[in-house]
Amino acid sequence: MSFSDSILAGLSLVANFESFLSLFIGVAVGTVAGAIPGMSATMAVALALPFTFSMTPITGILLLLGVYKGGIFGGSIPAILIKTPGTPASSATILDGYPLAEKGQAGKALGMALWASCTADLISNLSLILFAGWLASFALSFGPPEFFALILFSLTIIAGVSGESLLRGALSALLGLLLATIGLDLIYGTNRFTFGNPNMMGGLNFIAVLIGLFAIPEIIAMVWDPKAHEGKTRRLGEDRVTFQDYKSSFRSIVRGSFIGVFLGSIPGIGAAPSAFLSYSEARRKSKNKANFGHGEVEGVAAAEAGNNGVAGATLIPLLALGVPGDVITAIILGAFMVHGLQPGPMMFVMNSDIIYGLFVGLIVSSVFLFLIGSVAIKGFKYVAEIPRGVLFPGVMVLCIYGVFAVNNNLFDVGVMFAMGWVGYFMARFDVPTAPFLIAFVLGPLLEDSFRQSMLMSGSSPAVLFRGPICWFFWGLTCITVFAIIRSGARAARQSKKTEFVRQTP
Amino acid sequence: MKRVLRKILGAAALGVTATAAFADYPERPINMVIPYGAGGATDISARSISAPLGEAVGKPLVMVNITGAGGATGSVTIQNASADGYKMLFARVGSHSVSPAMKAALPYTLDDFRFVTVYEINPVACAVTPASGITSMEALVAKAKEGGVSYSSSGVGSLPHLAAVMVMDEFGVENPLQSVTHIPQKGGGGAATAVLNGTVTFLCTNSSSLAGFVANGQLVPLLVTTAEPVVGFDAPTSVDLGKPELQKLVGWTGIAGPDDLPDDVAAKWGVWMQAATDDPKFRDTMETRGSVIDLMSPQEADAFIQGQYDSFRALVDKLGMRIEG
Repeated sequence: MSFSDSILAGLSLVANFESFLSLFIGVAVGTVAGAIPGMSATMAVALALPFTFSMTPITGILLLLGVYKGGIFGGSIPAILIKTPGTPASSATILDGYPLAEKGQAGKALGMALWASCTADLISNLSLILFAGWLASFALSFGPPEFFALILFSLTIIAGVSGESLLRGALSALLGLLLATIGLDLIYGTNRFTFGNPNMMGGLNFIAVLIGLFAIPEIIAMVWDPKAHEGKTRRLGEDRVTFQDYKSSFRSIVRGSFIGVFLGSIPGIGAAPSAFLSYSEARRKSKNKANFGHGEVEGVAAAEAGNNGVAGATLIPLLALGVPGDVITAIILGAFMVHGLQPGPMMFVMNSDIIYGLFVGLIVSSVFLFLIGSVAIKGFKYVAEIPRGVLFPGVMVLCIYGVFAVNNNLFDVGVMFAMGWVGYFMARFDVPTAPFLIAFVLGPLLEDSFRQSMLMSGSSPAVLFRGPICWFFWGLTCITVFAIIRSGARAARQSKKTEFVRQTP
Repeated sequence: MKRVLRKILGAAALGVTATAAFADYPERPINMVIPYGAGGATDISARSISAPLGEAVGKPLVMVNITGAGGATGSVTIQNASADGYKMLFARVGSHSVSPAMKAALPYTLDDFRFVTVYEINPVACAVTPASGITSMEALVAKAKEGGVSYSSSGVGSLPHLAAVMVMDEFGVENPLQSVTHIPQKGGGGAATAVLNGTVTFLCTNSSSLAGFVANGQLVPLLVTTAEPVVGFDAPTSVDLGKPELQKLVGWTGIAGPDDLPDDVAAKWGVWMQAATDDPKFRDTMETRGSVIDLMSPQEADAFIQGQYDSFRALVDKLGMRIEG
């Protein structure tokens, strides 16, 4: 069957009212669910799963994909408006999105998030359709040593999001690494820092840590000094994103999309690291480097492109290999299996109509995302105008509800508040929180892949340099570390020149 | 004296209301805890049975995933729940026979639960990639004896972990903990990926998790542990290979409550499960996934789980696999 025949067969499968309706409902539900703090895209997809059991395979899977895509975008809405990432993937969006909202440019940030998301989504879907086979074999060449080299490189992002002081960033990252060690040891299965508490055996819940670190400090600060924000009104005005903004961020969006596609096609990384990597690359390449972290619209674009670029690409290992890359695709794999379908190379032969039907649906989903996202922004942006005294208690209720709902566990709510205080004191002492988060996500991946590599090789470190992919990432890591040291040294020299009094350590 | 009398009367009255409550059980929705994540074998099994089971129960079943620590986090919530039958657990082979057998520091034991049923059995299969050049158990075992063979699992104390060790032990690989390397992964997806990309040599797990890869020609099955052949798996059974002891090595899903769950509640579950597992749609869903629907009464379930635990525990003790701390 030729490509056009396959597309036609797929089209005949999806070109009906139910398929498009379920996709539309999926995107709408996902956007709203993603916009609720604590209600992550993963949870929304998990909740939607049982509904798909009684549908036809294609309708059911399109529903889940819609929820997934909507959820990833929806997460950026609370990230920008109330500094609470709706989903873990949108935590990088906070870095510039929230400062923009503070400046009264929430409309612009939201608009850019939507445009970047849809562009990245489209690029990701096209990559899936065109390069699925190639990217899948690329993904399969990622064993633990390659994974280790990649994650090691990704840790250099920390330098990019540390702000003024690299030392403070490193301190924050160390704290993140430390807290990430809580739970069961992967290799030996022994308890680490659980203090005999069964609730800690699974590690600290990521969503609880995330919300605690970002949203709760704002609330504590508000309680501490309720009048601090008086006089500063957060108006929305008529501020919206212009085509000029889009054009000037376009390079970052495309770069972010491809970072998302690559990281998404490798099982086991997920959207949050991709968003941070895209953000730090955009910052590195930008002329307005200094403005990143203080409300740079390109930062929002890069972060959103990074996380939406993953959304189509995670389907590559799923469809081409039958391997789920993250929790969401594991759920979607479950939906396939319930319908007696087995994703993998043979599916492209046996059920090519379904595969191509999904492709058609995915392309349409980008359009739906744009339509629904525009409406959602119009509705949600007024949140920025709600007085803080009214808004913050509401945010707090949503946070508690959301964190509880992840695992129906009150302990997680406690973790959230504890992390809230940690975040509050970090903010007071100017310690950036983003490195903490990156280390918390990447730390366990780094450790696990390192130890798996050592098991593979019988503890010989040579395995970490076993192939071109490893060399490539080791090379990148060296170059980046060198660049960081050089720019640090230059900054130190400059400050010596300008300020004779100041002593540099 | 009067006070004592009043106490006795009060207690009697409470007793009456308590029995009355169980006679009317269930009066409100029942919370069902799934200790593993959405989309996994336990989750799909639980959600597939929830529709016919809900009909049989006559009250809504509220399904909640409480994940973490290989099913331990969710299981603990039931261990500590009150035994009124309104909070029940989908117990699974990993959380309720492999982990208790292997982990000394697990916060619960089998005695903390009362099993009301086991309704699903999953055959276990071992598989390798075609690229490995291994085509039979004999070849795998010969290679394992030479050294350099490794296997993946979805974590320490999971079924694939114990399964690989048990298979190697049965086939006469001496000291399988040292001669065969275990490279644990996070979750079942990771375990499968590790075989596919050549990180490890083989994987033994539920046939349903492998069926897709086998059908797609990405993996070659070497063995299924049941006595009956498994559809889609062109591999000898444990009986064909003369290792009947491996028949104990199967996955299962059941339902459990806290250990002091009253008899009449357990009996009701027996009736409901009978109705639910007779549902043709449920059977169809599960059987296409390669599961065997085999409904056990509370007594049978208890004996089955205890039997599997005992044989796993014997192996663990023999090889010194128990994890302290």
